[in-house]
Amino acid sequence: MLSYFSTLIATCILSPMTVLLEAKRLTKHYGTTIALESVDFEVHEGITGLLGPNGAGKSTAIKLFLGLIEPTYGTATVMGLEPYSSVEARARLGYMPEHDCLPSGITASELLTHLAEVSGLPPSYSRTRAADILRHVGLHEERYRPIGEYSTGMKQRVKLAQALVHDPVLVLLDEATSGLDPGGREEMLDLIRRTGREFGISILLSSHLMGDVERTCDQIIVFESGRLSESGMVSRFTEETETILIEVDDKRAELVAILEQAGFQPLTEGSSILLELAGVDKYDAIRDALVESGARLRRLSPRRHQLTDIFRSVPA
Amino acid sequence: MTEMQGEVFDLGYQHYNGPREGRSRARKAIWKNGVRIILGMGKNFKAKILPVLLFIAVIIPALVLSFVASASGGFGGDQLGPAGYYQIVSIIILLFSAIMAPELLCPDRRDGVITLYLVRPLTATDYIAGRWLAFFSITLILVYSGQVVLFVGYTLAAAEPWTYLKDNWLDIPRFLAAGFILSLFTTTLPMAVSAFTNRRAIAAAIVIGLFIILTFVPASLSEDQCETTIVTVEDSDGNVRSGTRSENCGPLIGDAAKWVALLDISQVPSHVNRMIFNQEPTELANKLVEELPAIVPIAWYILLVVGPGFVLWWRYQRIRL
Repeated sequence: MLSYFSTLIATCILSPMTVLLEAKRLTKHYGTTIALESVDFEVHEGITGLLGPNGAGKSTAIKLFLGLIEPTYGTATVMGLEPYSSVEARARLGYMPEHDCLPSGITASELLTHLAEVSGLPPSYSRTRAADILRHVGLHEERYRPIGEYSTGMKQRVKLAQALVHDPVLVLLDEATSGLDPGGREEMLDLIRRTGREFGISILLSSHLMGDVERTCDQIIVFESGRLSESGMVSRFTEETETILIEVDDKRAELVAILEQAGFQPLTEGSSILLELAGVDKYDAIRDALVESGARLRRLSPRRHQLTDIFRSVPA
Repeated sequence: MTEMQGEVFDLGYQHYNGPREGRSRARKAIWKNGVRIILGMGKNFKAKILPVLLFIAVIIPALVLSFVASASGGFGGDQLGPAGYYQIVSIIILLFSAIMAPELLCPDRRDGVITLYLVRPLTATDYIAGRWLAFFSITLILVYSGQVVLFVGYTLAAAEPWTYLKDNWLDIPRFLAAGFILSLFTTTLPMAVSAFTNRRAIAAAIVIGLFIILTFVPASLSEDQCETTIVTVEDSDGNVRSGTRSENCGPLIGDAAKWVALLDISQVPSHVNRMIFNQEPTELANKLVEELPAIVPIAWYILLVVGPGFVLWWRYQRIRL
């Protein structure tokens, strides 16, 4: 058993771009309902976002990688091992579920110590790890209070802590910011970024909130109705476009009229004016139009793609 | 004199480089946690009351029997031996099982903690086996500790302890075997019931209700010791006629009564234990079962342990997270 673990750990001393999770023609049907249909993708080191609307198949994919359900067809491998047939593959995975999963009657310290042991760590090491992780997630002072007395934000931190307590190679976070207020959500996203960047633990963040994924992840995988619709680096989906975005405090109508006279075809979107440009020489004409209109400029910049554009481009 | 100075550094996140013991450690952790739950360890005082009361309830009969033996100059034939002791404590153990089995399983499913277990290097079989084994271990320790107290008490109460020990040493393997059989039965069935509801009170009520119904219904159906009396009746013509009248007869008699008596599940371990201790039955239900072939109560016991055991395992294979 120990030699098996040595091998497993050896495979987990990762080289750059090591494939942590790999789906090959991964399919999952529940009766006549198709949850996932022949999906191929890889998850590498770093923070990866698993994006898609509710019911897109994100949670099903996570359960397949955790070995909780068996694929109908295809394979889901974790660092080369199939988790459904080899539970040992889960020893280096962490999982933070979306739903409530914490007992109310025991302390965070006690829960984490126990779960570290269930992850295979000896008792003395488990106690130390539990204390360390609770400090990293900001619950060191509260660790001896029963979990039932915690706020929602603190409970989310305990959920993250239990996923990290055994020092996994990869953590799967299912809707990690669910139920949090804006402040709590920002703190949780910051904690996730720290986990990925400072702790060096790779993350697969499943979310239907594009803002969360855009601000946190390096790569994204997008699911739509059980199929893979996009995947790649986040920067590819948020790169600059040929569109110029102008925001002014006043005289917007005058500016639009002058831009039309100058040969532009300005579009208004909310309080912004959008201009499609063919080349950089048009910037001088925009500057002149701004001066002529007398509008007070607030913002002038190339527009970036947004992750929401992915869903606009996917046919319904 | 040099002034000592210290500075605290935040080393940041440190990766774990210690040993990883995998699935075997995970199984031990589930077992250990199960034992802690049963004994109320790490919880408030209320959680410890039931195990303490149970321990007292199991030990007191042994102490009382030992004291009576001591006062009457040693263990006599009319006093309860190890088999009789099990007869007394089996009801207490059954009640304890009905309350504690849901405590072991229901909260994990109700709170969703089961998810956190099954995403670790552990199968559903490992989880349920660990929980069951924890319950079985505590029950076994309880029934054995009472028997040890009883055996030591009888030995010390005897006029010649060494002679008593030589004459009765066979009681030791007998009570070990019988305790094992009793514990196996009283832990498996309540756990199987607890696997189907998230509410502890409901699971406990079902188990207790099951034992009550299956104790009293077979007893009322198979009352087969009719009191038959000869009666004389004078008819309208003044002729005296005699006949028999039967009282206290249940609706079932004969072989049917024997099979129905088998349904009394609170007596199931007792049927097997009587064979181990080679004792004659005293209660009616036991007498009826005694008349069936010996393999029948044994097979019935095995069915009532293996059946719920399988149901328990099957239920956890189908848990959807």
